[in-house]
Amino acid sequence: MLQISNISKSFGNHVALNDVSLSVRRGTVLGLLGPNGAGKTTLIRIINHIIQKDKGELYFDGRPMTDKDVAQIGYLPEERGLYKKMKVGDQAIYLARLRGLDRVTAETRLREWFERLDIVGWWDRKVEELSKGMQQKVQFVVTVLHEPRLLILDEPFSGFDPVNADMLKREIMRLKSQGTTVILSTHDTASAEEICDDIVLINKAKVVLSGRLGDIKAQHAGQDLDKIFIDTVTYKL
Amino acid sequence: MRREYLTRIKKPSFWVLTLVVPVLIAAIYAVPVFLASQPPERSHVLVVDDSGLFRGQFLSGRSVVYHDAGSLDYAERQLAQHDSLDAIVYVPARETTLPAVAYLYYRAEAPSVNVQTDVNNQLQNILRNVILLDVHGIAPEDYALISSTNISLRAVDIETGRDGFLKIKVVVGVLLAVLVFIAVFMFGSQVMRGVMEEKTSRIVEVIVCSVRPFQLMMGKVVGIGLVGLTQFSLWVVLSGGALGCIRICNTDLFKQVEGHRVTEIASKGSDATRQYEAAQYRASQYEAGVGADSDIQELLEGLGSIRFGILVVLFVFYFVFGYLLYASLFAAAGSLVDNETDSQQFVVPITVPLLLAVLLIPVMVGAPSGSVSTLLSIIPFTSPVAMLFRIPFGVPGWQVVLSMVLLAATFPLCIWLAAKVYRVAILRYGKKFTVGDVFRIFMR
Repeated sequence: MLQISNISKSFGNHVALNDVSLSVRRGTVLGLLGPNGAGKTTLIRIINHIIQKDKGELYFDGRPMTDKDVAQIGYLPEERGLYKKMKVGDQAIYLARLRGLDRVTAETRLREWFERLDIVGWWDRKVEELSKGMQQKVQFVVTVLHEPRLLILDEPFSGFDPVNADMLKREIMRLKSQGTTVILSTHDTASAEEICDDIVLINKAKVVLSGRLGDIKAQHAGQDLDKIFIDTVTYKL
Repeated sequence: MRREYLTRIKKPSFWVLTLVVPVLIAAIYAVPVFLASQPPERSHVLVVDDSGLFRGQFLSGRSVVYHDAGSLDYAERQLAQHDSLDAIVYVPARETTLPAVAYLYYRAEAPSVNVQTDVNNQLQNILRNVILLDVHGIAPEDYALISSTNISLRAVDIETGRDGFLKIKVVVGVLLAVLVFIAVFMFGSQVMRGVMEEKTSRIVEVIVCSVRPFQLMMGKVVGIGLVGLTQFSLWVVLSGGALGCIRICNTDLFKQVEGHRVTEIASKGSDATRQYEAAQYRASQYEAGVGADSDIQELLEGLGSIRFGILVVLFVFYFVFGYLLYASLFAAAGSLVDNETDSQQFVVPITVPLLLAVLLIPVMVGAPSGSVSTLLSIIPFTSPVAMLFRIPFGVPGWQVVLSMVLLAATFPLCIWLAAKVYRVAILRYGKKFTVGDVFRIFMR
């Protein structure tokens, strides 16, 4: 589905990504792990064409990735927000229309999602009246509304209580079952272990570990992903 | 762009401002005319003159009527008994050649400033007439003829024969200059705050997945600019409508005010005594600030001499392009900071040229076609203010064209530079950009 080949990116003297290569299999969930400042968000921004890469290539469905392909991505950033003074429904429709949906389709799909997540009553409320967790739900809905083929979620569980985090995991698995490919960037190794098929661990701008979750665990004598993460990062330090 | 436009149009504050301005304009237009048409409230003043110089000399006017009262005791009783009486003017007996002090007695409520000014003017005039007659042998009627010369200097375009009405043009020019400054600054600031809101609320990263940063920035600039144009159009339409209604509903009132001065002059005839009285009356009324009829007439004639069609077209041009130029810079400033306090280091340098043009308006008033005015009206960063100030006075066509071309050519450059800054800065959190950083981004 997505092939990342020898991507490098620097900001001044700081090397954010150094010859990073990885591949995302269609219909799977890839866990993108790494300590703070490892380069995960930079990589995600490059995939979304928000910033330009210095070197390397991106391939989408086996061909060089274009701006049109970005329209098939749903991106939930780590630093996410909404217009505080706008009503939830108006804002969701606005963001959906930016993603190319017409008003009627956007509203129909939004109503379905709002009912599924039991948030119909929020439609006419202003965003500033919602808690952080409630806003996260709206942001997730807006991210998946245009039915993207590739879903990139950056720290999707932060700000959620365990009940809502569990609900989000279920929704991710449901989308996966419908054929959506997911990249999940997280520090929550327990959640990653729970829902990811593949793992890529980035540390200090480089990929230091990658492969299928089962294979990686087998290579590390069945240790928890958390332990593998710490050992790998510490060893590489 | 659509969101920026609709969100702001739906705000109550937009409609409050949209309605308040036409109401104010209508009030500025109608209130002086209405007041001028109203019969003045008359004050009645008793005159007690123990000096023997003032008795029978006070001239009653439209607002103050004088009555000789004989003795002070009698006058005091009258003042106590009749509510219609406002005050007593008392001039004590002379100890020296001329009285040095007079008194204005009142009960409970002090006479208005107008009454006090009228009394004071009358005292001065009467005393002056006494000196003129006794010392110089000049009769008051002769003095009235001498002093009532009333020649007005009118600047006239020799080709068109149109009156200059310089004072009114200064007022219109200053109003236009200040209005465009306020509009550019107000809507430019909205752009900056909008960009900061998107940056600080972190929604920008979601949006730039769907639209390019340049599109996002221009959508905001154009959307808010359209809000400004909508507001301006509504002001013109509503103000025009309000003024038209006032004019139509009060046709007689306007005719009365406009014709007042003509009939007043005609009624005075050539009789020296009447001219003397008229001169005295005008002097007292003018100094009391009551007789503003001729000023209103001049205002109406002066406003009629200005070609408002061209003025509106040029105002729209200079507002639109001046706004685009400055709003793009404001957008760049907004992308550089995480909060409003930090924005000042960028807002101040951006607004200095426009502010300089406003501060130099007094210099331009002195010489609307001088070198400072000409230079400021051609430089794109100051031309929106300076050229709009100059337009009512008449500006050579080549200067207007040059100014417009330079402004229209400069704004894409500003937008290009602003977009470079915006693209780099909008997703950078926590970094405090300096002016040096901005120049480094320009040079990339």
